[in-house]
Amino acid sequence: MSKQIITLTVNGHPHEIAIETHHTLLDVLRNELGMTGTKRGCTAGSCGVCTVNGDAGEAICSCLSLAIEWDGRSVTTIEGVQEGSELHPIQAAFLEYGAVQCGFCTPGLIMTTKSLLDFNTSPSEEEINETLAGAICRCTGHIKVKKAVRKAAEMLREREAG
Amino acid sequence: MATKTEELSVVGKNWTRLDGANKASGRSIFADDVRLPGMLYGKVVRSPYPYARIVSIDASAAEALPGVKAVILPEDAKGIWIGINQPLLAQDKATYVGHDIAAVAALDEETAARAASLIKIEYEKLPEVTSIKQALADDTPLLHAKAKGNVAWEQEFSWGDPDASFAACDQIREEEFVTYPSHNCYAEFHVAIADFTQAGKLTMWTPTQSALMFQKGLAAAFKLPDSDVRMLTLNTGGGFSGRVSPRPHHFLAALLSRKSGRPVRIRASGDEEFIMCRAGGKVIYRLKSGTTKEGRLKVIEADLLFDTGAYIESQMIVTILTSSYLNALYKIDSSRYRGRLIHTNHLPYYFHHGGGIAQFQFALGQHIDGLARDIGMDPVEFSLLNAVEKDYTTLHDSYYASCGLKECIEKTAEKAGWKDKYGKLPKYKGIGLGIGAMASGAKGVFKHDTSAAFIKITDDGLASLSIGLPDMGQSSHTAMAIIAGEVLGITPDDIRVVSGDTDSDPLDVGAFTQRGTFNTGNAVKNACQDARDQLAKVAAAKLGVDAEQLVFRNHQIYPDGEPDKAIEFKQLAFDTLHSQEGRFVMGRGFYNSPLEKGTMAYSFGAQIAEVSVDPGTGVVTVEKVTAAHDVGRALNPRIVEGQIDGQVFSAMSQVLYEECVMEDGQVMNPSRLDYKMPRAFEMPEVEHIIVETIDPNGPFGAKEVGEGPIVCTMQAIANAVTDAIGKPIKDMPLTPWRVLRHIND
Repeated sequence: MSKQIITLTVNGHPHEIAIETHHTLLDVLRNELGMTGTKRGCTAGSCGVCTVNGDAGEAICSCLSLAIEWDGRSVTTIEGVQEGSELHPIQAAFLEYGAVQCGFCTPGLIMTTKSLLDFNTSPSEEEINETLAGAICRCTGHIKVKKAVRKAAEMLREREAG
Repeated sequence: MATKTEELSVVGKNWTRLDGANKASGRSIFADDVRLPGMLYGKVVRSPYPYARIVSIDASAAEALPGVKAVILPEDAKGIWIGINQPLLAQDKATYVGHDIAAVAALDEETAARAASLIKIEYEKLPEVTSIKQALADDTPLLHAKAKGNVAWEQEFSWGDPDASFAACDQIREEEFVTYPSHNCYAEFHVAIADFTQAGKLTMWTPTQSALMFQKGLAAAFKLPDSDVRMLTLNTGGGFSGRVSPRPHHFLAALLSRKSGRPVRIRASGDEEFIMCRAGGKVIYRLKSGTTKEGRLKVIEADLLFDTGAYIESQMIVTILTSSYLNALYKIDSSRYRGRLIHTNHLPYYFHHGGGIAQFQFALGQHIDGLARDIGMDPVEFSLLNAVEKDYTTLHDSYYASCGLKECIEKTAEKAGWKDKYGKLPKYKGIGLGIGAMASGAKGVFKHDTSAAFIKITDDGLASLSIGLPDMGQSSHTAMAIIAGEVLGITPDDIRVVSGDTDSDPLDVGAFTQRGTFNTGNAVKNACQDARDQLAKVAAAKLGVDAEQLVFRNHQIYPDGEPDKAIEFKQLAFDTLHSQEGRFVMGRGFYNSPLEKGTMAYSFGAQIAEVSVDPGTGVVTVEKVTAAHDVGRALNPRIVEGQIDGQVFSAMSQVLYEECVMEDGQVMNPSRLDYKMPRAFEMPEVEHIIVETIDPNGPFGAKEVGEGPIVCTMQAIANAVTDAIGKPIKDMPLTPWRVLRHIND
């Protein structure tokens, strides 16, 4: 197995990394870059814990995506969501509404939510449900999470309105 | 001493969890995030057969593989015992699918997996026993010579005179319920990192509900003093009754580290998660109860059969716990309980989320609902007529210093519109009631049930609170800071909660049996009172008043009724140290229930579920859950709601979906794709009603809310489905095929 060199931009910063071709985006973020904010869950695309956002802001299960496919591309991870030292409205809403409990699935849930609200700050109930369908949160039972997503949408709408 | 709500300035407000910002921004560290220099990766070789003799093991190819640093075989683990009389590695026979036989450690996970696959084990298959019925049959061979009839353990209790009570009943109901194996399905998979490279000193990073139980279990296995096992609990990605004590991978990581001289991490992959550890196993509940025709419930009898697996892991505790819940909810004259643990060729079963009590209530709640129907009584009316109350003493001698059960039933019935709906809904729509009780702590695991706490007040007016209670999501650390803040008159964000290292944490039995809020809460209150007394002495001298007259509130200290004389908390903390005496304020406290065993307080709850059933597909949709819970006092109301929500989810998940489908000893659905849990769109609306009964012994009146809700939901949903289809379903989960079978029967 010979290593391949890729250039991966994470949260706006380019990284030149030597990777094994069978390593996933999750492996590279956590093991090569030491960015452990993105958590490792089922590694089979069923729990949503490892979700990051791709080039187009879409939700990606980083456990299912080979790192080699990300050469020259960019991802946003949970470490890139805060605005300086301030929480992003999605993070603030998750805290205020008690949508964070054990916190293991929280990074994935926030990246999942971001993949919706970055493009649509007035999502319907159905759109929220559909977005969250790829995630499992046993602690909150999704109930406070849905409330937090609606609140975050409201905060983002207010921000848009200036 | 009960305190009026208006007198409290911190307790009862909505506080954001102290660790929330870190968790929401990826800064929180979990065990799987820890990478130690030189760390190796472990992999375990497990039996693919439910019952087989191990003929030979050839590890030579694995040992020769480049990158392999340690191989552990059964002889290396001789003398290491886990659970009750279970050798760490299978010695002569593998007695369940997933029985650990060997382990390897290598430079990376791929090499470790490859090495594990190179260990050649020759098996001679033996006829397996995979059901309770088969295990109990006369001609079935014994799995353990000592367990006659494959009954691993048996316990009987009787209170009052059950036979006389049954004789005095007008109506008797007798039936059987079944629940199946489940998995706790925490977000964070099983993981352990062991550093056993210094002789006689073991350090471990792992998610846990009780560092103390892990420390004791590992120390006993490796014959070390407890204090030479250092448990480092970072964040714990969910507990759900599944992380109370060490499991085989914890011991194996330690053994591999000792052998290789390097730190070792073992982490479960997707299917391993289901094969190495599961929650509870199959349980058969035979219930019998009797009532007068006026609806006076007189007697309940329960005979439970537990599939405990090839060894006993935790099921003795489950039988003891469930027995006490026969007497917890209704004022009955007598009761009888028998619990038997049956050996099979399944893995040693552990705790279902809900500790076995929620699953027992699934059966009992439906049974009592049925008994009410038998005499033509509304279940809400029947429950209210028989419900326990404040100052009641149960048959098993638990005194209720506070009890809001009736209020919970009345409020939830009113909010859900029970009277207008029960018996009046169209076909395939249903409504059901579930009620429950849950102890705050259960002395009996050890002779004590102690939690301890330290608090130091620094000269900047802030404080550090040290506790040994893990926070696996229930926001217990923030709850402790709320209690501390209330006593000291400061706010939770003034307080750093320090926890997670047994070298420095004060003792705490742990976060199980719902003991955190009550026991650790009282310990924190005592420690903070100690610190407050030290500060009050200085303030009293400054103000020229008695220390007892001082009020600590809103960062100020003043004589009661004279806020204009206030000293700022920060100034007082500064002056206390920066004086000739140089006093540094450190408070210490502990709490241990004065009882010999059992609990000082129970929480109570009532939930009403509304469902619709699709008669074509058998799919059950839960439309709404109205949940009323007596939590004593809600220290942090929004977090209390979150606890209710999460438990409604888990209970709904277990009653409708979750099952480890077993076939010939194998789990047929070992992944989170095939082991279903509800998704966001399947969740009902949950309406919360918080009932505060201000328990005289709880910290500021608080009792547990960690499992009170989950014991109500399963029965509420099951009763609602019975109401919708007109027939009871006596085994869960109520999957579409089970529901259809009943509809079409």
